[in-house]
Amino acid sequence: MNLLQKRHVLESFERAKATKAKAFRDELPTWCPGCGHFTPLQGLYEAAERLEIDAKDFVLVSGIGCSGRFPFFIKGFGLHSLHGRAIPVATGVKLANPELNVVVVGGDGDGVGIGGGHFPHAARSNLDLSYLLLDNAIYGLTKGQTSPTSPMGMVSSTTPYENISKPLNASTMALTYGATFVARVFSQEKDQVTDLITQAIAHKGFSFIHVLSPCIEFHKTITYESVEESVAHLPSDYTPDDHVEALVLSESTDPIYTGLFLEKKSPSYEDRMNDVKAGLQKPVASV
Amino acid sequence: MNKNGVTVRFCGNAGDGIVTSGKIWSGALAQMGLDLMVNDNFSAEIRGNGKSTTDIRVSPKKVRSMGDGIDVLVAMSDEEAIVELGDVKSTGFVIYDCDDSEEARENHPLTKHIPGNIKAYPVPLKVFSNQTTNSNIGRNIVSIGALSYLIGLPSDMFVKLIKDKLLKKGERVAQMNIDAFSLGRNFCRENFGQHTSLDVPEGLKPKTMITGNAAVAQGAIDCGLKFFAGYPITPATTIMEIVAKELPKNGGWMLQTEDEIAAISSVLGSWFAGKRAMTSTAGPGLALMSEMINMGVMSEIPLVIANVQRGGPSTGLPTKSEQGDLNIAMYGGSGDSPRVVMAPSTCEECYTGIQLAFDLAEKYQTPVIFLSDLFLGQQTVVNSLTPKVEKERSTRIKPTDDALMDYNRFQSTKTGVSPWVVPGEEGAFYSITGLEHSETGNPNFDAGVHIRMQDKRSKKFESMKADLPTPKILGDKDAKIGLTCWGSPLGAIIEGMELAREEGVSSKLISSVMINPQPEKEFQKFFDSCVHIIIPEMNHSGQYASVMKSRYGIRPIEVHCPGVLTVSPRQIADKIKEVNV
Repeated sequence: MNLLQKRHVLESFERAKATKAKAFRDELPTWCPGCGHFTPLQGLYEAAERLEIDAKDFVLVSGIGCSGRFPFFIKGFGLHSLHGRAIPVATGVKLANPELNVVVVGGDGDGVGIGGGHFPHAARSNLDLSYLLLDNAIYGLTKGQTSPTSPMGMVSSTTPYENISKPLNASTMALTYGATFVARVFSQEKDQVTDLITQAIAHKGFSFIHVLSPCIEFHKTITYESVEESVAHLPSDYTPDDHVEALVLSESTDPIYTGLFLEKKSPSYEDRMNDVKAGLQKPVASV
Repeated sequence: MNKNGVTVRFCGNAGDGIVTSGKIWSGALAQMGLDLMVNDNFSAEIRGNGKSTTDIRVSPKKVRSMGDGIDVLVAMSDEEAIVELGDVKSTGFVIYDCDDSEEARENHPLTKHIPGNIKAYPVPLKVFSNQTTNSNIGRNIVSIGALSYLIGLPSDMFVKLIKDKLLKKGERVAQMNIDAFSLGRNFCRENFGQHTSLDVPEGLKPKTMITGNAAVAQGAIDCGLKFFAGYPITPATTIMEIVAKELPKNGGWMLQTEDEIAAISSVLGSWFAGKRAMTSTAGPGLALMSEMINMGVMSEIPLVIANVQRGGPSTGLPTKSEQGDLNIAMYGGSGDSPRVVMAPSTCEECYTGIQLAFDLAEKYQTPVIFLSDLFLGQQTVVNSLTPKVEKERSTRIKPTDDALMDYNRFQSTKTGVSPWVVPGEEGAFYSITGLEHSETGNPNFDAGVHIRMQDKRSKKFESMKADLPTPKILGDKDAKIGLTCWGSPLGAIIEGMELAREEGVSSKLISSVMINPQPEKEFQKFFDSCVHIIIPEMNHSGQYASVMKSRYGIRPIEVHCPGVLTVSPRQIADKIKEVNV
């Protein structure tokens, strides 16, 4: 274990204790010490505090995988659903009670692997959900198999010679699907993580945050060091309102940009639904 | 012909307007106040290369099933009609499309197939259609004109209905079709004379019609449905279509999802947030939903799934009826996964049953699978529903203020049902999971906890027995022959029992909308009083019989009618008589 990794391990213990101290729940996070997921969890706490979200109105829905355990560590209602199904489950929660703040958390296997068919539809509908995809480019909970975002050439127990398929880029996917808020962050940049989660929850419509969250236990090539070296903030003069420019920058691999790619004001699915319903109430003009 | 009413079959190719013929014929007869049942039978193709038939049985008394055989065959396509001739009763007749000349009649491809004892009426459908509508499209209307005369019904109701149906296409189109109707009618009057006379009793009130699928949709909306998610699939789609239109007017919403998995997932999400929700599907969709149904069992979240069964396995026979999904409904989940399974037998039970499904699901926090079938879902019958409207209905058991002080989502109780707080409510919050969990809801894999929670989940099914409706018991209570059945064959089975009784053998029947759990005491008592037990059902392996055998230790005589062939009254009567020997 090098110095940087040691630092992360120590930090994550501190965070775990902080979690407990805040008495959000009586459960300590179950992740490996040093896991990239602690920071977004912390970011979520702070965002909920900043936005003064009442625990009774906060619902966190997750799928299966390391990220799936999020609901047990937050102050609010949690729904640890099935592998790949967090988005449609959250859709039902939100449409049943649009007053609730609904956040979806999932991993790369969950979101663009088994659940890849749901992601475009939540995005194109512009449902008022916030979706955090914690991308560690590996199946961590089943001990290190190749995932849909694993780089080409990666060697793992399921690609013992090498991974010969190209990885998916979740940020680009979200942009293509029509999400109205798309951001990418490196999980270790705590302030950026917290700020973007806060903005995402406040955004009316489908917001997506692609969190690069290395797996310290199993990933041999995507590590804190490698991600730290390859990421860069979006240019300071970049404004997140140009869809095409956002796509170009999200595809860049050198550097891998982090920050807010796109933020668009557009009526949410719930707004449109309410318009339709309101139209039905109006008396029909006699012919 | 008249005692059991008249069954008419319109037969042709997909696109011949067969279903429309059925609608006009049945619509007029319902307006006259007669009881009726319509069964459409079509191929999976939209136009061309597929056969389409529609049967309409009409009677002055209650119509319980499509009965045995048909009285009238209206052949729009000669080729397709040949095999249908076998179903025509000896007192019946056939109307077919033939030019008005001796020669045309002799050379007609259908003539040589029509048995000598069946009367045949050649009517120039195509010619009259072209004379009036300038195309072949009005052939079905000409045939209705012919039929209305041969069966001795007045023309006014038909004319009114054709006008009502076609006025939206313009007055000219409506008049063309009325002319087509009149040509067919007058031709028969001039050439043949009336075949029979269907007596329509005086003083009958006009009736409206409804399908089983519409009754399911209406029942759900009337008892507080707030959210529906679904994916189109034959033969369940009409439920979704009706809900899409009606639910937004009633404070709810219908979401068309990207697949059945998303549909059931968002239904679970809605119930988690405390709102009554459902989906509708058929076998292949139910198979896709099975993992999320299991999640509902484990996390004690209600689900209501109306599954309109069709022929299987796999994509199977999308437009044919079968009762093949009982196994997947009962057992289609990993682990020990008890769920409520219900099956309506009539259109009325589609309405009352789906309301019971919601009540049980919400009170006992469990998935309910409601097994209708294509035959019941698509058949049109006279609407005799007694609406029970309660738009904010809820059977959720909420915690007392004291219980909220130390709230556990899965608190153990005598009934196995834990008081339930939903998001947005003050006092308590929690997380649920598809993992095994303790009373708090947090994951827990201890053997003791697993056994305790399995006990809790199955205990709910024992407690539920207090809320089950009494089973229907019919027939002669001293009979030694007993039958039991589930779902749509009930009507045909009752008719079969009546036939057998007329022919000297009495029998009795027990049936319940509840398949799991079931009012077991009543069933056990009934079976104990029988010497022979007959279980007819519309599948190949006897799925319901298997459940009955393991649950009650009985050794029934099984009658399997796999798909396509619905259970027929004659078949049941013959079986009862055979067993009696």
